[in-house]
Amino acid sequence: MLSKLTRWSRIKSPWILHLNSGACNACDIEIVAALTPRFDVERFGVLLKATPRHADVIIASGPVTRQMRERIIRIYEQTPDPKFVIAVGACAMSGCVYRGAYNIMGGIDQVIPVNIYVPGCPARPDAIVDGVVKLLGKL
Amino acid sequence: MSDTDIVESLKRDLGEKVLELTNPDRRRIFFKVAPADLVAAVTVLRDRYDCAFLSTITGLDTGEAFELLYHFASPVTTIHVRTEIPRSDPRLPSICPVIPGAVLYERELQEMFGIVVQGIPDPRRLNLPDDWPDGQYPMRKDWHHVRPEEVIPGGKS
Amino acid sequence: MSFEIPIGPQHPALKEPISLRMTVEGEVITGVDIRLGYNHRGVEKVAEEKNWTQNIYLAERICGICSHSHATCFVQGVEKLMELAPPKRGLYIRYLVSELERVHSHLLWLGVAGHEAGFDSFFMYTWRDREIVMDLLEMISGNRVHYAINTIGGVRRDLDEGQKATILEGVATLRKRSEYYFRIGATEPSFVARIAGVGMLSKEQALSLCATGPVAKASGVARDVRKEDPYAVYDELDFEVATADTCDVLGRVVVRVKELLESYKMIEQMIKNLPDGDIACKAPRKAKPGEAVSRYEAPRGENIHYIKSNGSDKPERLKVRAPTLGNYPATVEMLRNGFIADIPLIFAAIDPCICCAERTVTLIGARNGQESVVRMSDLRQQALARAKNAPVKGNAVWPF
Repeated sequence: MLSKLTRWSRIKSPWILHLNSGACNACDIEIVAALTPRFDVERFGVLLKATPRHADVIIASGPVTRQMRERIIRIYEQTPDPKFVIAVGACAMSGCVYRGAYNIMGGIDQVIPVNIYVPGCPARPDAIVDGVVKLLGKL
Repeated sequence: MSDTDIVESLKRDLGEKVLELTNPDRRRIFFKVAPADLVAAVTVLRDRYDCAFLSTITGLDTGEAFELLYHFASPVTTIHVRTEIPRSDPRLPSICPVIPGAVLYERELQEMFGIVVQGIPDPRRLNLPDDWPDGQYPMRKDWHHVRPEEVIPGGKS
Repeated sequence: MSFEIPIGPQHPALKEPISLRMTVEGEVITGVDIRLGYNHRGVEKVAEEKNWTQNIYLAERICGICSHSHATCFVQGVEKLMELAPPKRGLYIRYLVSELERVHSHLLWLGVAGHEAGFDSFFMYTWRDREIVMDLLEMISGNRVHYAINTIGGVRRDLDEGQKATILEGVATLRKRSEYYFRIGATEPSFVARIAGVGMLSKEQALSLCATGPVAKASGVARDVRKEDPYAVYDELDFEVATADTCDVLGRVVVRVKELLESYKMIEQMIKNLPDGDIACKAPRKAKPGEAVSRYEAPRGENIHYIKSNGSDKPERLKVRAPTLGNYPATVEMLRNGFIADIPLIFAAIDPCICCAERTVTLIGARNGQESVVRMSDLRQQALARAKNAPVKGNAVWPF
């Protein structure tokens, strides 16, 4: 009974942490634009949180730079279970144009496990909202 | 002042220090000096040609030597100072006493090419991560990066 | 008693990795240091392995907000190396997109500034209006960000009469809305008082530390690449360089607002005078050996690209210096002797494009080496609480 209640509250109101692992910023602006009145992801109960300890979902963008690698792992560990990761943009999936650069790991999934991939360069806000909704459907 | 006036004036002010001077395009003047005359030339540009604004410092690896370009901008033209240092002894005087805003660009030269800038007020790394090994200078032409083996989640490789 | 305070690198309001370490004595910052590198992607090395056309797409992705600035700056330089003369119509379309990008970037920044000053509804309003510009850009080029409208020798897509009419309508709506926001500034003394007197940078400091863009213009330094080094169509357009004399965050807001109005004027002129003809000329695969320096006025300041070619189809060296990096020494100076609680606002006021600059900021300076971790959102709450109880600054005047 309690597990049904917690599962319902998790689906109804996932709290998000936005993580930029060295990206060009286009995906991040589209993530913030998803909060603005036109696309309005807040109607799904999604709130942008400042700290990993309050978050359910990590939305990550950017090809992982060497300097950010340790920080990402630390943030992932600080997020309480159950946690989910959405990788937004072509950089987070495979490194996009920076593939092969000396300071790039090449995608978020080289560092932490990812549940949902949202393609695009940058991913449109509608696609990001679609990705969040698909994640909620899997919960 | 037009470009030709500025070119004549530079030849008079700097005299023998100028090793070569070109004006390839409108508002683009390039001249070359030896590393020892660099600070003096930059001081002249700042004081008499209204070139207090340094856009950036470019480093180039031309094989046996490192070539450096200092890009200055004044309200009527842009002046670029070239200098060359041997690869076997890459040392360069800092222009920070004359242009305080140059410190970031000189730090980048130090870490990317391995050039030693003498008199730099702050010698720490700029861009490269803390765990970057010493002695590896990415922008040198003979430095290549070997991509590590990629892990594909799901187990297939 | 001084503390070292590290903040970041994963920071809630600025969407980029930043790490701040400051040394403080009580509430006043005494020392500032810069540690960069969270965003360093090694673009200059990657550029040496890709050919000229592929490098346009690489240059675009140096930054997401000013992507067209980098792509255009690069293409200008390559066209000089290849000695191409793109047709007038292509140039007009290219710089039309530039001015639209400037509008979108300043509206984005106004929203962020409002958010940092505690004015969240302003943030929502400006970002909603920004959607008008995003729609126009999508209509012209096919994508909201990373427009990829440039090709070597011109632009890729043309404008027809219907699109021109839509752009003029969009700009008219934006101008009406922008003027409404500027009147808000006049009737909201708490907003103006919050930002006046914060982040002072005198004219001499701006000159000696090589500040560029609105940061320098707000200190009275009227340098603009579009006037000094007019490239392509800017010597045929009628506009003024926006400056302010207050040398603080209020001045930077005023400069960006004036630049918005000038951009609307320029867009209308370009649409009305759009010449007929081709949109691109054919470009060779290889560029002649040589070097080119290309400068461009991005929304944040002067963008400079240096390109050297060795006669092949790949560049020998590409050097990029984005404007935010040039403003860092000035930022360090602005933060010194300020209050801790003002850090988010001062930092946001330089319109940092960290991805362009590839840095994180570390502010240091301790006497006893004690550390404590503070969140940016806490600082912002502190600043808002302090501003609410402080007396309204009598000499802070909204100049419109």
